Amino acid sequence: MTVDLNLVGAKGAIAEAAEGKWGMTIDQDICTGCQACVAACAMENNVAFVGEEDAGYGRTQHWIRIERFWDGEYPHVKATPFQPMLCQQCGHAPCEPVCPVFATPHSPAEDLNLQVYNRCVGTRYCANNCPFQVRSFNWRDYHIIPELGNMVNGTLVFPLHNQLNPDVTVRRRGVMEKCTFCIQRIHHAQDTAKSEGREVEDGEFTTACAQACPASAITFGRVDHPESLVSQMAHQERGVKHLEELNTLPRVTYLKEG
Amino acid sequence: MIRKFFEWVLSPMGRIAMVITVMSLFSLAAYGVYQTQQPPEQPIQFTHKLHVGLGIQCLYCHPGALRGPSPGLPTINKCWGCHQQIAKTQTSPLLKPMVDAMNAGVGFTWVPVAQVPDFVHFTHRPHIAAGLNCEKCHGDMTKVTIAENPQVMNMGWCLNCHKSRTEDNFQNNPTGDAIVSAQLEEKRTKLTDCGTCHY
Repeated sequence: MTVDLNLVGAKGAIAEAAEGKWGMTIDQDICTGCQACVAACAMENNVAFVGEEDAGYGRTQHWIRIERFWDGEYPHVKATPFQPMLCQQCGHAPCEPVCPVFATPHSPAEDLNLQVYNRCVGTRYCANNCPFQVRSFNWRDYHIIPELGNMVNGTLVFPLHNQLNPDVTVRRRGVMEKCTFCIQRIHHAQDTAKSEGREVEDGEFTTACAQACPASAITFGRVDHPESLVSQMAHQERGVKHLEELNTLPRVTYLKEG
Repeated sequence: MIRKFFEWVLSPMGRIAMVITVMSLFSLAAYGVYQTQQPPEQPIQFTHKLHVGLGIQCLYCHPGALRGPSPGLPTINKCWGCHQQIAKTQTSPLLKPMVDAMNAGVGFTWVPVAQVPDFVHFTHRPHIAAGLNCEKCHGDMTKVTIAENPQVMNMGWCLNCHKSRTEDNFQNNPTGDAIVSAQLEEKRTKLTDCGTCHY
């Protein structure tokens, strides 16, 4: 049964909340599934490489992943378009109300789902309640595994520590993590804009995944500004939101023909 | 065995021994707490008192505070820029480590004093832009030799200031202007948002 929201007078309220602040569009028709966004995200956000054993347990950590499904029965299968899946930054996020320690609040200023690592106690309830399965848990201290370090003058030196992004927290064992829409870049752009006495312009900065995408399938920006590129992309007829029936109000719009 | 031990404790010698044990444990703990409150050992005994007293601005040696997140700690070249023109540099025993380091071509490794944990992302620039003085958080440097923290830098301390400076009261909004009130409200949302510092 479908309810006509116009009739019950709720459409205005939902549409307003659905707008959000920061948003993203992913064009599945031009995504080649090259995984450049996955690599770029891991570099930008210090996402750990978990290793073979933990990956076998399904403990891989990706803030964005490329999903691919098969349509039909073997041997007449048809591959569906590549589907980069990341945190949808839902307006009504199912992960938020279940956290017992309020470690994943909704940011009133940026309208994003936050993950506060120092408050997280690792119940993993949010990950279980996420319909998009985009949260990942730190089962170990992946950045300071002693076997991976080299002993230099009596101290353990980790070769990959020089490529860690200082603007992003290195997560320790026992905390949940997820895509932040590169909030460090948002803050940096806002700070730069404020120091120059202007507003953040559209396309001034973008997320790591959108920056790395060679096919420019990912667009990031303000969805509440009608003139911004992402806003115009999102309002195309091709745009779909994932699991819209759950009414989580995702901020990521997937563009797919048909 | 245990009964024998308790009998010994109740004897005069046992009581004295117990008092000494408890007191030494307590003093060890007190010493440990005291050690955490001491400013760390720095490569040279840098006197903030003297340098600020000579009229050198904080931002001369810590210029990053004006532009970005980290104020930066000065390199030995910045010290040497002034000190090579001062005759006392070559004679003072306190300045000998600096002269030696300069001659050897190595720098200082300052120990940062005011630090926040990894999960807090603090930026100096907006705080300076908001018109805050350095001594509001770092204390009066004309009174200390080696830099030390005047207060515990925790989240409650941050939020107290963020809240008081965005409160819609007479101090922040003397005329009761509606536009200023809305701006304060927006600022308050931003300044009390978890994602402003934790990400």
